[in-house]
Amino acid sequence: MSYEKRVARLQDIVAELEGDGVPLDDALRLFEEGIEILRLASDELTTAEGRVELLIERVEGVFETRAIDD
Amino acid sequence: MRRSYRTSVAQPGVESDLFGSSAASRAVAPAAPGSTPETAIPVASITETARAVIEGSFSPLWVRGEVSDFKRHRNGHWYFCLRDASAQVRCVVWSRSQRGIPTSPDEGMEVTAYGQLTVYAARGEMHLNVTAMDAVGDGLWRKAMEETRLRLDRDGLLAAARKRTLPYAPMRVGMVTSPDGAALRDVIAVIRRRAPHVSLVVSAATVQGVNAPAEIVAAIQRICRFGEIDVLIVGRGGGGREDLWAFNDEAVARAIADATVPVITGVGHEIDITIADLVADHRAATPSAAAEAAVPVRADLLAALRGLGDELSSSLTDLAARARSRLEEGATSLKRAAAIDAERRRAAIAATAGRLNALSPLATLARGYAVARASDTRRTLSSIKDFKADDLFTLTVRDGEIVARVTETA
Repeated sequence: MSYEKRVARLQDIVAELEGDGVPLDDALRLFEEGIEILRLASDELTTAEGRVELLIERVEGVFETRAIDD
Repeated sequence: MRRSYRTSVAQPGVESDLFGSSAASRAVAPAAPGSTPETAIPVASITETARAVIEGSFSPLWVRGEVSDFKRHRNGHWYFCLRDASAQVRCVVWSRSQRGIPTSPDEGMEVTAYGQLTVYAARGEMHLNVTAMDAVGDGLWRKAMEETRLRLDRDGLLAAARKRTLPYAPMRVGMVTSPDGAALRDVIAVIRRRAPHVSLVVSAATVQGVNAPAEIVAAIQRICRFGEIDVLIVGRGGGGREDLWAFNDEAVARAIADATVPVITGVGHEIDITIADLVADHRAATPSAAAEAAVPVRADLLAALRGLGDELSSSLTDLAARARSRLEEGATSLKRAAAIDAERRRAAIAATAGRLNALSPLATLARGYAVARASDTRRTLSSIKDFKADDLFTLTVRDGEIVARVTETA
């Protein structure tokens, strides 16, 4: 799941929990899912290390990327 | 490549040419070509010689004048005259030379044209073979941009409704630019500073010169086929108007419009606005500004994430609190219901008791009646047939009983 999709899911979960009519069992399950998403999203931001790459198309549709020294 | 007709036409060893024959040489040598009817030279020779002389005498130069009789030939070449008050020179722009010229000039436009003066043998005319041109005050560049803008506008590519929203938190940014350019270095620096978790994928293109438009188009299409990017920056650093011209190219604009992800343009400096900028989903003034628009600051993203985490926690706490208060409400109303029920029962009992009381003979006694009953059997004696003389019986009145004796029966 992309970072943005994770954040969107998290927002949905919060909205659902804030609304009425979530049985307590479901609420707990949603909460746990939310905590897990929060952890993954936060990891993605803090541990990912951005690379700079040059895109090369070997033949049409076949790609490779090569690190650019800067 | 120029051939010299001077040597091919003139006699070997004779120090003369078509324009320089002298009386002395005529006297001692066979007649110079063209000096007598017998030595008349062919037309092609004289036009070719004239061409050689003119091309040899004039290096390519800029000529200023007003455009008239402009014609675009079926074969793509442009023909027109440059004139001023007293003179004119015919001009031609071969179709292959038009790539360096923004667009065709308008009739009457004051232009400067750069080219080689030559002679066109087929017509025997002198003309300027034009390879570069501009109108006073960048007129041609402006005209070309306006023409492109109108065509794009007609196709709806400039509509505000087409503009896509930039992604909130891209993880991979694409960039079409020169791998050696300042623009790439600027963008890398901004991304490292703001969002070190974001990767950059470069699709290389020459960004100036005649090949630039085609290369930029190919680079945009290539990175869109690759697909694994969230947003695309197209740009280059500052330069002269002609350096930036590729970004006014219609094909580049259409490739930007067709891109599969939102496009941010960052071309040149603050003041340069290109056709590409008009089509892009977001126009940034410089490559650095494009990078800033593309990636949010990581600390802000983390803060937003923490905020969501807080909301998540409090939403569960609130939910639990709501559940508890619902439970308490339930208990209270249960108690209330039970109390109401008990009260209702009590009232019902009271009402029954009231009715019972009303039916009770004691109430009748209270009004002054008395009940006679047999002393032994307690049977109610309600008829004279129940009484015999001297019988003892009990008479119940409001506040007690008395024993009575029958003295006489009717």
